[in-house]
Amino acid sequence: MNLYEFEGKEIFEKFGIAIPKSVLLRRGDKAEEIYKLFNTKDVVLKVQVLSGKRGKNNGVLFGSNVGDVKSAVDKMFVSNIRGQYICGVLMEEKLNIAEEHYLSITYDTNRKQPVLIYSQSGGMDIEDVSEEKIEKYYLDIRNENIDLNIPFANELWNCFIKNDARVVEINPLVKTVDGKFFAADSKIAIDDDAFFRHKEWNFEPRTMLGRLPTDRENAVVKIDEGENYYRGTAGKYIEMDGDIAVLFSGGGASIANMDALIQVGLKPANYTEYSGNPPREKVAQLAKIVLSKPGLRGLWIAGGVANFTDIAATFSGIIDALDEVKPTYPIVIRRAGPNEIEGKRLMEECAKRNNLNLKIFGKEIAMGATATVLFDMINVK
Amino acid sequence: MSILINKNTKVLVQGITGKEGQKAAASMREYGTQVVAGVRPGKGGEIIEGIPVFNSVAEALDTFPEISTTTIYVPPFAAKQAILEAVENNISTINTIVERIPIQDTAYCLAAAREKNIRLIGPSSLGYISPGEGRIGVVGGPLELANQIFSPGSVGVISRSGGMTNELSWQIRKGGLGQSTAVHVGGDLLMGTAYADLLRLFEKDVQTKTVVIFGEHGGGYEFEVVEMIKNKEFTKPLAVYIGGKFANLFPEGMNIGHAGAIVGKGQSADEKESALKSVGVLIADTYEDLVVKIKPFA
Repeated sequence: MNLYEFEGKEIFEKFGIAIPKSVLLRRGDKAEEIYKLFNTKDVVLKVQVLSGKRGKNNGVLFGSNVGDVKSAVDKMFVSNIRGQYICGVLMEEKLNIAEEHYLSITYDTNRKQPVLIYSQSGGMDIEDVSEEKIEKYYLDIRNENIDLNIPFANELWNCFIKNDARVVEINPLVKTVDGKFFAADSKIAIDDDAFFRHKEWNFEPRTMLGRLPTDRENAVVKIDEGENYYRGTAGKYIEMDGDIAVLFSGGGASIANMDALIQVGLKPANYTEYSGNPPREKVAQLAKIVLSKPGLRGLWIAGGVANFTDIAATFSGIIDALDEVKPTYPIVIRRAGPNEIEGKRLMEECAKRNNLNLKIFGKEIAMGATATVLFDMINVK
Repeated sequence: MSILINKNTKVLVQGITGKEGQKAAASMREYGTQVVAGVRPGKGGEIIEGIPVFNSVAEALDTFPEISTTTIYVPPFAAKQAILEAVENNISTINTIVERIPIQDTAYCLAAAREKNIRLIGPSSLGYISPGEGRIGVVGGPLELANQIFSPGSVGVISRSGGMTNELSWQIRKGGLGQSTAVHVGGDLLMGTAYADLLRLFEKDVQTKTVVIFGEHGGGYEFEVVEMIKNKEFTKPLAVYIGGKFANLFPEGMNIGHAGAIVGKGQSADEKESALKSVGVLIADTYEDLVVKIKPFA
């Protein structure tokens, strides 16, 4: 999960990384009053969005009087920063910048260990800085502290480790004219799989999709909460613009199938995958949410030849949802694996008692080919 | 021949008393793999599926010093400790099925394993299978299904996805071919054993004539493959499918498919494909197409 700048900076501060004096404005807050209380003349105003590039999209503005600040904040809350949801505007004291550096820690997937990246040429165009100006230090994850002659390196390392982060980045790491260093921005991505040991992670809902999460998305996340969060995963649901509901099993199969669906010219209403042999109840809840989207024209349930996922058991979860919703649009299923014969029998019975327009296939046909079957069923008049 | 496992491999199951551990022990035995012991602290002396249970890895090794592979079936919060116990006891190959292990724990285990030259396959790996030799974990499913899908042959299989390891192996079988070894490397951001590591083994394996990879957008593991082909470290025909072209509908940094499949700069499915193509790798447009691509070489 990616954190907003203001959330990241709160964490930075706890770990001894200096941040500029700041206050967060939410939608509807009175900017002029907050500016007066802030009691600093020159301020910078920054929209709070989840991905970068805001500096190049008017997401950062300056102000030195009530009028400027108010109009900048008003403008920001209605602006469009690459379609992202704006959760607030951060008002900060304007730093007297002498230099802009870059500092980050993330995992290097090839070396399979953390890497600290530092450059004295930081700022907006870090992606264009030449390799010679970038220093890389590979770190041993087992070390509690690191000893590098780089401002805030050890503080950032502690922040990375203690927060189960995937990425921590300070860009720019500002050196002021009086020689002090400040994290002028923050980027932190935390590891979703470490939630169980971070009771303090109570962040507001968010999605990377440039909008607030939908009710359906929030509802699906809840399915995996609680004691047995690791017993199968049902929590992947992203609502999309199309009209074909999908229920895919397995991460790999799900991405191959999304590609196949789009290739045949159908548009997904959602991206959903469940995996790891989730219990019937989890699958039923997930399926009900997937089928609850209005305006659906088809349903595609597809997965590969499962290893040990019990096909009859997961189908039972889907059947619970089909019995309740009784869709009238075409349904195509392709799935194989343990208990597939019983699964198919249960599904066919469900189709019969609910008069469903449903075709079910096993491993005699490849997954992608059944997308074409669905296309043909939808387009038959 | 095969890679990673043969008829003589002696296997330990850590977490053997749990539901998944029992299932895995039974599935390995059923396929002829020598599962000699299990571990569950506090349950030493019990017998599960005919397999003796010990309180610790060290105790199991006292009785069965020839154990060379362990499989980890514990909940995510206990995974780090279990893997490190295996590392401390110098078991040379560790297969970790556990999903949703925090990345930091994986990195910690990998650092400890690397120092001792121990191979970690996974996390989130269902295991691997060498048809006719044995299997680690539950790849292939129940015996009847496994025997429909897997048959000894010349195709090496590597997959980021467990379901697709089976699905792809099935397409190979349907195409009249067989597999040398099929490995589910797991879908996490950090892969203990990545494509390049396996290609090195497949290069040396005389049974393997050609290799297929089911890859995903995100991560940089394919670029290692490009490098090793350039350096002639891998010379056999290789076909790759990279799923997730639809991911360009989503913003950068979005997590789709497996944990490792984060959409990132310079790592889209298209960018990987063009890098692989430039060194002669066969690119499949659909996963079924992988079999068509390698058939002339198998």
